[in-house]
Amino acid sequence: MHLVAAGGGACLLWATLIGTTQLENRYVSPWILGSVVPCFFAGLFIWWHAPNSPVARRLLLLGVWLSVAAAVRHTTTLLSQELGWDLRPQPAGVLVPLDQVLLMISRVCNLTVSILVVRLLALLPDGHVLFRHERRVLNALWGLLALPVLLPCVGMSDLTVYYVVAYHSEAWLPGVGAALLVVRCLRARAADRPDITALLPFAALGAAVFLARGSARLFRAWHGEHGALYFVGALLGALPYVSISVTLLYAAFCHRLLGVDIVLRRSAVYGSLWLIINSWYVGMALALGLTAGLYFPVGLSLLVAVVAAALFQPVRARLNTLAERRAFGRRLSRFGLLVQFSAALEHAYDLDRLAPRLATGLRDGLNLRWVRVRLGGAGLPVSTAEAGRPPPGERPSAQYPLLYGDDALGVIEYGPKAAGRRTPEDDDIGQTLARSAALAVHNVRLAAELSAHARETQRQAVELAASRARIVHAQDTERRRIERRLHDGIQQELVALVAKLALARNRLHRGGDIDAALTEVQDDAYHVIDDLRELAHGIHPPILTDQGLVAAVTSCARRMPIPVTVHSAEPLTDERFALDIEESAFYLVSEALTNVLKHAGAGHVTVRMTHADGRLQVEVADDGKGFPTATTHGSGLTGMRDRTEAVGGELTITSRAGHGTVIRARLPERAREETRA
Amino acid sequence: MPEPPGTAPLRLVIAEDHYLVREGTRRLLEDTGEVRVLAAVGTATELLDAVGRLLPDVVIADIRMPPGHHTEGITAAHAIRAAHPGIGVVVLSQHANENYAFDLFRCGTNGLAYLLKERIGEVDELLRALHEVTAGRSVVDPRIVEVLIGSHARAADAPLSHLTRRELDVLRQMAEGKTNRAIAACLNLSESTVEKHVNSTFAKLGLAEIPQLHRRVSAVLAYLRHTPAGPV
Repeated sequence: MHLVAAGGGACLLWATLIGTTQLENRYVSPWILGSVVPCFFAGLFIWWHAPNSPVARRLLLLGVWLSVAAAVRHTTTLLSQELGWDLRPQPAGVLVPLDQVLLMISRVCNLTVSILVVRLLALLPDGHVLFRHERRVLNALWGLLALPVLLPCVGMSDLTVYYVVAYHSEAWLPGVGAALLVVRCLRARAADRPDITALLPFAALGAAVFLARGSARLFRAWHGEHGALYFVGALLGALPYVSISVTLLYAAFCHRLLGVDIVLRRSAVYGSLWLIINSWYVGMALALGLTAGLYFPVGLSLLVAVVAAALFQPVRARLNTLAERRAFGRRLSRFGLLVQFSAALEHAYDLDRLAPRLATGLRDGLNLRWVRVRLGGAGLPVSTAEAGRPPPGERPSAQYPLLYGDDALGVIEYGPKAAGRRTPEDDDIGQTLARSAALAVHNVRLAAELSAHARETQRQAVELAASRARIVHAQDTERRRIERRLHDGIQQELVALVAKLALARNRLHRGGDIDAALTEVQDDAYHVIDDLRELAHGIHPPILTDQGLVAAVTSCARRMPIPVTVHSAEPLTDERFALDIEESAFYLVSEALTNVLKHAGAGHVTVRMTHADGRLQVEVADDGKGFPTATTHGSGLTGMRDRTEAVGGELTITSRAGHGTVIRARLPERAREETRA
Repeated sequence: MPEPPGTAPLRLVIAEDHYLVREGTRRLLEDTGEVRVLAAVGTATELLDAVGRLLPDVVIADIRMPPGHHTEGITAAHAIRAAHPGIGVVVLSQHANENYAFDLFRCGTNGLAYLLKERIGEVDELLRALHEVTAGRSVVDPRIVEVLIGSHARAADAPLSHLTRRELDVLRQMAEGKTNRAIAACLNLSESTVEKHVNSTFAKLGLAEIPQLHRRVSAVLAYLRHTPAGPV
């Protein structure tokens, strides 16, 4: 086989050399590039990787024989040019024996090519003979090789022989191959049938194109060697070899139809496909340009060649893309999918966008019928996306849960592949993507939590700023109140007192009785003292500093005009807390009691001070009319909340219309560090 | 060694950090002729020192003195009463708050008085309180009693709520350390009627067994102290 391949290569080289350098025939290069090269290299490539596959051998043989045929033809043409032989079919051929022999060899070669095509097509996909009729028919075909020898001997005209041997056989024989393949498909076991069916269209196409080409060649006989139809024939002539080569190469490596169980670098497959497609493209463009050169001046024909190249370019590009996708399909999809998914991770903050991208990418990448992706769960809203619609009732053929730790963060499930069987690599990709997606969803979850925290922090910051502003405002208001009381109240009273003393002095000078006046002054002074005491108590009750919270609250309760019961847990009575805690608790109670007096219309209030879970709990409950907590935002309540939260406590207000109000503050129990001097 | 009032001037030590008040008080009291001021000091430490040296009959102490400016007067009063049970102490306070009085009477009421500072202006009242504590009795400023009796901060079943209006009046007078006779004069009642109210008050408050001398103000105060804040 190596020898055959090497011989084929040598022939190809020889044919190319003499075809391009010595012959005047313009169609040598297009033909060799467009059909012989693709076929030979495809065969060589497959055979190289699967030397035992009959199909590979046959494809190589086909390529070799095409080379041999081309070499023989070109050699004979060269010889005829050099020696003056005219090997073209003659209406009534009387040829010298040497001519006859050469012609015969050339025709045998051509016929062999056709027979090889038949054998290649008929025995797809594995290349083994399955049925007896196949063997009979295929073996019988070899008998045709006798025709080029026998027919001239029985006196048939050279032209007729040429038609029978070259044109008709090339046109019709591939049809025989396709027909055999159809029969094979019909008789094959159910398990093998899909593979054969998949190849049948290609075989049929090849046969049809051969037929069309044969027909075109028949036309060519009428139109001569240089017509548009000749060009069409050349175009069509190259196509079947290319299509068969490409199909087999693709089938071999992407669907493993030839029993080729090899792991091959996809780039090599793609490279071969690229070579075939581009050889065909160059060949076709050349052929068109050369055809045009017959009719038009050189400049114009060049233009035509360029236009032709441009016209074929989209076809070539499309074929290349197709080849690339087919060759790299799976491999590319693995990286491509991951790359695509990595890109999609940029949108990972939005599961609604991530899910469809993942589904579509997975379906396109693995060529699946349908994919369903569900992301979310474990505290996140669930996003579901489908690429392709699963038939009703169909169970997914693969299902990968998205797990992060023990959290189920969704699931990826998909149906069977659109074509071919699912491979372990496909499942690897599914699993990898599921892991990545789980990570992505986890990230989304983290991001959501983070933004929730950020929002909460922001809200707290805003609330803090507001509360700070309120506290400052309250402080200023309180200062103004004290200032007013000092200036408008106590200072005025003292001024009046001074005036009364002056009056008393005057009376004394006049020798009058000042006893009553002094008594009045003394009473006024008592009044001022009371005012001052009250004011000082309002600023800060000394009892809170001197005796602590319980004493201060009790004392405050005693001065209420309605009954107030004070409960305090025994250990609290002598316990001293940090100054700000005590003040906060005291003002809470005093503010709450003021509110009860102002608004509640309560008959009784209970103040309760207890330890609760390591915190100081202060509760003021009344039996008043209550209020709807949701709608009331009095400044009193806000002030209480500010004061409580300022020392790290929390305030809850429970109130229902008609059922009284309970205001409960839980404050940290910070002990007093030092007594205030 | 209590002396009957009027026979000899009371030997007094004054402790008050404010100079003008201290000297004013001294002159007011010395002007009456009933009091001889042995010493007038500015801090609690000096007070204890002076009491230990001079052993006065009675002491007037400001509640708030250096160095802490909290309740040094009360602490000093306790210390004096503990060391010298015969020396009466009048604590003058600017706080019209009953809790300070409770603090003062924490370990017993005998020989102790809690007066608001402005009583300095009512020399007679002050003198009477000095004589009361010298005699081992107690006085509470009427303002404090007013707060306690007027307070609603007690449970409905508190014994004080069972007292009649007249009994509360009598109790208030008792709290000022007045005798039955003085109360009768003040309320325009006969002495026997007052005695009846006093006895019924003691009965209602459950204090009938306490000896006559002490049970009056001390019992009332002790009771008042415990009632309003206590858990129901």
